[in-house]
Amino acid sequence: MSKVEDIARELNSNFGVETEIRGDNSIWLEVKKDPLILLEFAKRKGFGHLSSISVTDWIEEGKYEVTYHLWSYSDKLLLNVKTKISRDDPVTLSAISLWGANAQIHERELHELFGVNFRGNLDPSPLFLEGWDKTPPFKKDFNWRDYVRKELLDKSNKREKGYWE
Amino acid sequence: MSKADEMGRLIKAVWVFSWFNSCGFTELLPVVGSRWDMERFGLIPVSSPRHADCLFVAGYQTAKSIKRVQKIYKQMPEPRVVIALGSCTMTGGMYWDSYNTIKRLSDYLPVDLYIPGCPPRPEAIFYGVHKIVEHIQEMKTKERAK
Repeated sequence: MSKVEDIARELNSNFGVETEIRGDNSIWLEVKKDPLILLEFAKRKGFGHLSSISVTDWIEEGKYEVTYHLWSYSDKLLLNVKTKISRDDPVTLSAISLWGANAQIHERELHELFGVNFRGNLDPSPLFLEGWDKTPPFKKDFNWRDYVRKELLDKSNKREKGYWE
Repeated sequence: MSKADEMGRLIKAVWVFSWFNSCGFTELLPVVGSRWDMERFGLIPVSSPRHADCLFVAGYQTAKSIKRVQKIYKQMPEPRVVIALGSCTMTGGMYWDSYNTIKRLSDYLPVDLYIPGCPPRPEAIFYGVHKIVEHIQEMKTKERAK
């Protein structure tokens, strides 16, 4: 049995999650509840590098999908852990206790762009949007074009008139 | 009067501080380098805004970087000139519908001269630079009239 199947089976038996193997080195799985216990287990199994945390906005479902991408340097394997949280009250536990500053920068970004609150992350100050008080801009219901027309452009300006057509 | 004579009548060379975070600067690089060589017109790139007479703002500015430009501008001694390069500084250019870039630089800084182009060609920059020289001479005559 190959290493990737080994790890997939182990995750399945320990946490009762469906795992999917894509390609020859990546495992995808979805957890219903808070993923930190599984992440902690994965870290002990050699997934020491948190490549990225990403959020997908499923606006019809009313859910955010938080995905953790982990990389194992020893086994050359990619583990992707997905979990769904509420879109109206997006709160999840911070992964700072496991990856420290590595997780901090991703969580800070997601707080800025999607408004996700990572409980345990003490510094959610914005990275790029200083002084922003509108909807987090990466939400699908944020109409950036309307925002720009209303706040930043001037219809009576000859050079900018074309942006309304 | 030739361009060289006009330059010779300035008290000192025009020292330039460049601020850019994007592609608006790409055609300014050959101007600094040996192909176009802005030093032959007395334009010297300096490393501190406290030494600069002229500020080149190239390309779009984000909501974050514009605050840094304003700080840099405040550090420059009078008299100071601001030159905006590229169409992004006028209307936002290709970033016209981006929520985090500013659209009109003159809302934030007193811009003396816009150089259009995406990015502006070295010829356009030199034309603009000649305009600064004229501008400085106007400033000098005004001061003398006082």
